[in-house]
Amino acid sequence: MIVFEDFTYAYPTGSAPVLRGIDLVVEEGGFHGVVGASGAGKSTLAMAVAGFIPHAQGGEYAGRVAVGGAVVADTPLPELVTRVGLVQQNPFDQISGARFTVREEIAFGLENLGVEREEMARRVDAVMADLGIAGLADRSPYALSGGQQQVVAVASMLVMRPEVLVLDEPTSQLDPGGARMVVEALGAVRRSGVTVLLVTHALELLAEHADTLHVLVDGEIAAQGPPAETLADDRMEEWGVGRPRYTEAAARARRDGLWEADRALPATLGAAAAGFRAAVRTEGGRR
Amino acid sequence: MSTGLSVYRGGDSFVHRLNPVTKLAFVAAVVIAAFGVDSLWWPALLFAALVLPGALWAGVGRRFVLLVFGLIAPFLVILFLLQGLTYPDPGTVLLELGPLAVKTEGLLFAGTTALRLLVMVGAFVLLLLTTDPGTLMSAMQQAGLPPKIAYVVAATMQIVPSFQARANAILQAQQARGMDTSAGGALARGRRLIPLMGPLLLGALTDVENRSIAMESRAFGAATRPTALTVVPDSAAQRAARWAMILAAVAAVALNTLGVL
Repeated sequence: MIVFEDFTYAYPTGSAPVLRGIDLVVEEGGFHGVVGASGAGKSTLAMAVAGFIPHAQGGEYAGRVAVGGAVVADTPLPELVTRVGLVQQNPFDQISGARFTVREEIAFGLENLGVEREEMARRVDAVMADLGIAGLADRSPYALSGGQQQVVAVASMLVMRPEVLVLDEPTSQLDPGGARMVVEALGAVRRSGVTVLLVTHALELLAEHADTLHVLVDGEIAAQGPPAETLADDRMEEWGVGRPRYTEAAARARRDGLWEADRALPATLGAAAAGFRAAVRTEGGRR
Repeated sequence: MSTGLSVYRGGDSFVHRLNPVTKLAFVAAVVIAAFGVDSLWWPALLFAALVLPGALWAGVGRRFVLLVFGLIAPFLVILFLLQGLTYPDPGTVLLELGPLAVKTEGLLFAGTTALRLLVMVGAFVLLLLTTDPGTLMSAMQQAGLPPKIAYVVAATMQIVPSFQARANAILQAQQARGMDTSAGGALARGRRLIPLMGPLLLGALTDVENRSIAMESRAFGAATRPTALTVVPDSAAQRAARWAMILAAVAAVALNTLGVL
């Protein structure tokens, strides 16, 4: 479980707080999304969970952030990394450069933690199998596609068995194929029982996979709840977040009388298809 | 597996199978012996009797010859031109070319230096051709090399090609906006490459921050004693051979100093 209590943070280089009075509880297990316009504080929130704020960034830090009962500010980073994994935006930057094969790259964190070799080999093989990258084991991490590199980054974190995996825009630099690989990998992470906290602009992805969604607006939590409800909120445009294409298409159809008035706006492709099908049937009945 | 800076050629020869630290000890021994013994024929003997046969035994002879001579050829030309024509000490003049004179002593000095270079470059090329870079790093860490130093070496080997790729991408982006890098002399071309440096260095600095976060996320630098996934095979015989090679090289230098060799 991740808990923010009245959390406010300002970077050492900036005067205004980037996050203000955040009170947030992210339940253990499941898939949780964080959305917001650029500059809303999403990445800062991710860094605060992973502990790089305040341990690496400094700045003005008030309130409390805790992960699985450990208070982030009071827990040394090397200990915290065994509780929280962090996957960043650029897959290339996350390759250690210290190892020459994917298998060794995934094991790197375990080596640094002093895990015994047999245990390490078992865990690495298991995580590669779970994420479907066993075939890449002997390749150089630098010879992989962006999507493959990002899945390796996820594997490198997952192998350390964190309670929480924080991902900051993991698909933003990937082509659709690469993004799909990462999404499939996240499915496996979720099944393993790890709490996933995904910061992204990819609303369709969250609509399909997230259990809860938290909307950040100017450093504050403006809304939270199930994606279907949150993404259909009319204020999403005003907050600069936007809405999934399916939601937007249905909203326009409703204005033109082509979406049933009492039917909620859809957040997923499946719900949109069902809604349009129903609208077509109703229209056909009228004729 | 290969990386941009790697010249490794996979194989299953005896040389390939040796522990990389044993090969490093061989490199150190032949370099000490080549540079420490004052003789023209000694480095030639080391190259002909040890280094070159090692490459042939490993089955990388052709690649070895191409790489070694490709690397040292420019140095050989400069060496013979400088030392052959401008050797400062008095000596036997073989040929006079105006103010310059080709002296026997100058040619001998250039020849000895060239042969020493041949041994040094040859031994390193043999090591790199027959050793997987990952295995080399693992073996060096197992031999006690601090993880941070091992990281710097390994990261350099892998990141330089990526850095080159980034530079090319920036160059192409600038060329797409009309910058002509081919026209004019070398100085003009060099001047036009200056705008490349800003984005390249700024990009590299951003990378460093992200990479340091990625490394800390994986407990790099934690107080725990690191373990290793890959254990490079070693043996008592190889450990003994390493000491024997180094001692033999030191002995050769000592005997040469005493005038025996």
